[in-house]
Amino acid sequence: MNSHRRNHPSTRFTTYIEFEERPVDVPEEKIQPRLLPGEIMIAKANNVLKFAPLKANRTGISGTLFVTNFKVSFVTSLPLETKEKEMHSKSLQNHFLGVHDVCLSEVDMVNQFSEENTKKKRLLYNAQMPQRLSGLQLVLKSLRVINFSFKFTPTGEDIRVAQALLHHAFPTSIDHLFLSCGYPPPSPGIPDFCLAQDWERELQRTRCPNWRVSKHNEFFNLCASLPTVLVVPRDLLDAQLEQAAQHFQGTRPPVWCWGSPAGAALVRMAQISPSISDKQQENRMMGLVHRCHPRKLQPKIFDLDQILPSLKDLQISYIKLRELHTPDDPTQFWEQDRHYYSRLESSRWLSHVSKCLEVAQSAATAVLHHNSSVILQDSSGCDLSAVISSLVQLLLDPQARTIRGFHCLVQKEWVALGHPFTKRLGHVRSQVEEQSPVWLLFLDCVHQVGLQHHTALEFTSEYLVALWHAAHCSLHSSFMFNSVNTKHSASDVLQRENPQQPIYLRPVWSWWAEDHSMVETQQNGSTEEPLGDKASSREAFLNVHYIQQLFESLSRSGAVKRISDPLSSAYHTWQHIDCLLGEVRQLPYDPATPLVPLQLDGSLRLDFSQSNLRPWTACFCAWLSEPAMLTLHDSEAILKGASPASHHWLHIHNMYTSLKDLLSQSLTNGAAQ
Amino acid sequence: MVTEKLMQYSFPASHKLPFFAFEYCEQYPENGWSVYEPIAELKRQGLPTESWRITRLNEQYELCETYPAVWAVPSAAADNDLRNVAAFRSRGRIPVLSWIHPESQATITRCAQPLVGVSGKRSRDDEAYIQHIMDANAQSHKIFIMDARPSVNAVANKAKGGGYESEDAYQNAEVQFLDIHNIHVMRESLRKLQEVCYPHIDNAHWLSNLEATHWLDHIRCVLSGALRIADKVESHKTSVVVHCSDGWDRTAQLTALSMLMLDGYYRTIPGFSVLLEKEWLSFGHKFAQRVGHGDDRHQDADRSPVFLQFVDCVWQILKQFPHAFQFTEDLLITLLDHLYSCLFGTFLYNSERERIEKEVKTKTVSLWSLILSNKGDFENPLYNPSTRHHVLFPRTSMRHLCLWDKYYCRWNPSMRQQEPVHIRYKELLHVKEQLEKHVDELRKELAARQTHDSPRVASAIV
Repeated sequence: MNSHRRNHPSTRFTTYIEFEERPVDVPEEKIQPRLLPGEIMIAKANNVLKFAPLKANRTGISGTLFVTNFKVSFVTSLPLETKEKEMHSKSLQNHFLGVHDVCLSEVDMVNQFSEENTKKKRLLYNAQMPQRLSGLQLVLKSLRVINFSFKFTPTGEDIRVAQALLHHAFPTSIDHLFLSCGYPPPSPGIPDFCLAQDWERELQRTRCPNWRVSKHNEFFNLCASLPTVLVVPRDLLDAQLEQAAQHFQGTRPPVWCWGSPAGAALVRMAQISPSISDKQQENRMMGLVHRCHPRKLQPKIFDLDQILPSLKDLQISYIKLRELHTPDDPTQFWEQDRHYYSRLESSRWLSHVSKCLEVAQSAATAVLHHNSSVILQDSSGCDLSAVISSLVQLLLDPQARTIRGFHCLVQKEWVALGHPFTKRLGHVRSQVEEQSPVWLLFLDCVHQVGLQHHTALEFTSEYLVALWHAAHCSLHSSFMFNSVNTKHSASDVLQRENPQQPIYLRPVWSWWAEDHSMVETQQNGSTEEPLGDKASSREAFLNVHYIQQLFESLSRSGAVKRISDPLSSAYHTWQHIDCLLGEVRQLPYDPATPLVPLQLDGSLRLDFSQSNLRPWTACFCAWLSEPAMLTLHDSEAILKGASPASHHWLHIHNMYTSLKDLLSQSLTNGAAQ
Repeated sequence: MVTEKLMQYSFPASHKLPFFAFEYCEQYPENGWSVYEPIAELKRQGLPTESWRITRLNEQYELCETYPAVWAVPSAAADNDLRNVAAFRSRGRIPVLSWIHPESQATITRCAQPLVGVSGKRSRDDEAYIQHIMDANAQSHKIFIMDARPSVNAVANKAKGGGYESEDAYQNAEVQFLDIHNIHVMRESLRKLQEVCYPHIDNAHWLSNLEATHWLDHIRCVLSGALRIADKVESHKTSVVVHCSDGWDRTAQLTALSMLMLDGYYRTIPGFSVLLEKEWLSFGHKFAQRVGHGDDRHQDADRSPVFLQFVDCVWQILKQFPHAFQFTEDLLITLLDHLYSCLFGTFLYNSERERIEKEVKTKTVSLWSLILSNKGDFENPLYNPSTRHHVLFPRTSMRHLCLWDKYYCRWNPSMRQQEPVHIRYKELLHVKEQLEKHVDELRKELAARQTHDSPRVASAIV
């Protein structure tokens, strides 16, 4: 009665070759990686086998390995693996990088491994290279492991590839990073918070009184890690600002980053320089924050260095997480898996997340319920204060929970206010002791907010994962630099070195409007099929439950009727939906529309106890498939088809089209008159 | 006085009182007692076939008192052979068909351990019988005997007259041990889990405390055991014989779970009730002993959360495949609530024979009456019926399993409960309905105005 069974993909592995077999030679001249403008091929190795390390049956795919000044590219004619294809479709760079490509700045470690000897050895850029390599293992910053075997590779090519890799993956300075050139990126429609008007708009939107925009940092003369414009107390003169700045670490004066209409301001402040014993300037600045408050309420000061884990603690946690999620073989996977939860706990990562959420919650309470200004102080003023400040806004400001608002938030707090991404994420070879995954910590906190409030965020946790991965790829420049200043100088240097080509720094936010055809036009003779269309990655990144709420407000009686009346809220909701789901290449934002003033009505409450937090396995295990114990078919494929949101999306799209049809019907009707 | 009465009615069995199920007389439109008809279910599976027959040899529960009246056995085995095999299997629980693959004819059969003992006794009849089961499947020249126990326990059982099949005696059979621990270990694990979840949660050590209970570890073992059986049947087209010691605890978990993975019918509401009625109730999982209905002896060594563990495993699969089940976790929670409530007759007593004796079917209401009469409450709006033809292979690594907090922590106010996706889905359908209603109205209005050719109206929409 039940006609069961799917067709068995029994021939599935025939295209893959056993480790022992010799791969089929493909005519060499046909094999070429796709190069971006300005990208140069550096080394190449033929007949390389690529392995996913947890494949128990030790089958690999054969192809040619290339190293360019931008990526490691593996070119093969063999079909793609489901997992890789899926991850590729959910990447923000998938129009520039193929499924088998890895951006050099993503490489965390290069290890040498051999088939006989299970022991792997780390290869360093400054150490002696062995005579012959039997295999290379790449450990990526996205917690992914890829193994290449050189068993059938002509002698010499293995070493050349390894040398090129070590040299270019760990550049001495940020100037040597590959940045895209050739074609201007589409405008992301996100203010970059480097212009006075961006901050003025933010002051207007929040209606936070008694603060002003100062342009005193015009040439980065005041502080190198801040943008040229900053928001300071209205009563503070530029000269006083300059004097005060000298007393703080990195000559970084306190800056306003957000506030409430009632007058509570969110201020980020560095610690007083260790060489200065006199706390007078610090007290003075705190006094000014105090005076800015319309009701002269005492600000609440959070000394984040005291109450949150140190950057070093975070890095130690992260290294433990990395160990737990990059096993070398199935045996190690299962050994770790037995103690997965206790190991995760002993990494202390979740306890750090919990601590951050707790502090953010209490700062948000101070603003919301006590109308008190909050001063977030950490040593350099650009690490943990960025985490807490962004989280407070996420909890209090409904705009920050939309995808566009979140982009603005990150652009403001992290990019413009100068979180040192280069140092913290190790984009260059030195400064190992300065690495710390502050950015990941923040994303994990946001993920927990999304888990506890399913309908509150417009974006999904998959989008956060994509942002974590994007932070390691030099294709998008947002997360590459220590500050706006270093970004400017790096692009100047590049431009001088490549006078014939225009240099464009691509902000990560432009992914929304990037598409395959745009890349195609700048490449000659590329024939690769476009992989994964925009719509599906939007679906993965947009929270269907948030959008459901938008439709819910339209389903109330009379709302649809007013949908083309620009004065109604239904109109704006519809515009918003249309931007998200339609073919529009702009983020739901139009600079011409009037500001929507901040309203603090829908604040979120968090439960930060550790038993209510969930390990972010979607991020940590993104690349880690469970090794097949048995002869099972690819169960991942079935799981993927069963994405829990797919049913929801179907109905959302239905509603969207029916409204769209209605509108066009009414338009043609109107035109007919 | 209150205490006395409370004790009396809380533990009716210890005070010679009837269960409340015998007094309960709620009327339901559906009769849950008719959901499971053994012959109908075997027919659904395609029986009888050339190689399998249906027998009523145990009609009077004489051959095996803990087994059901109706069995499916290899046609090649005569009634007398069955009697001889019963003599060699613990408590007469001989290998009987649980499930047959509709295409390959590979089967899952269940039984109790063979009575090998220290001297290593053999039974020609039992060996031939296993060979018959293998021969009934033309696709494979091998048969797997999955012993649910850890191998040490299987060896230790020899001292008590039990044991396991030696591969020397059983030609073409391969014995595999699935390392699932016994009822005492599971009981202890649940006790620890209760301590961890209630009343106070130690946040700083939440995950390591959870791990120390080994509850999820046991869940992982049961699930991966069932997965292994499903894999042998589906991918290798090889028949599997499953047993533990008595064949009514771990065996029931394994056969029921692997059937749930293999056959989408069991993932529907009626199918799931058939699965439970068949693999758990008719094959004599000792619900009365394991749960201790109405019994005040808390320390009883026969108590064990075997069924709870099974339901937890079902939940883990459901969580990984949210579209593949016709029911939601609410059904599982309701099942567990009434496992202890004694409101329905379903889970009372230890075997089919006892239930017939106590006239459970005529004197009490079946839990399925409640469930089938309120099907809407348990239906999963995300269910995709085309998944019925899929085999589910859940992931069983620890990082893909999680604590079923909605069940275990539901009485702890400090644990946050998440609103399930299926509820939001119902809301979505409602929103869609409303919206379409408004759109339709406007559309009609538009059309009407157009035909009247009213010059004033440019658009019905302002």
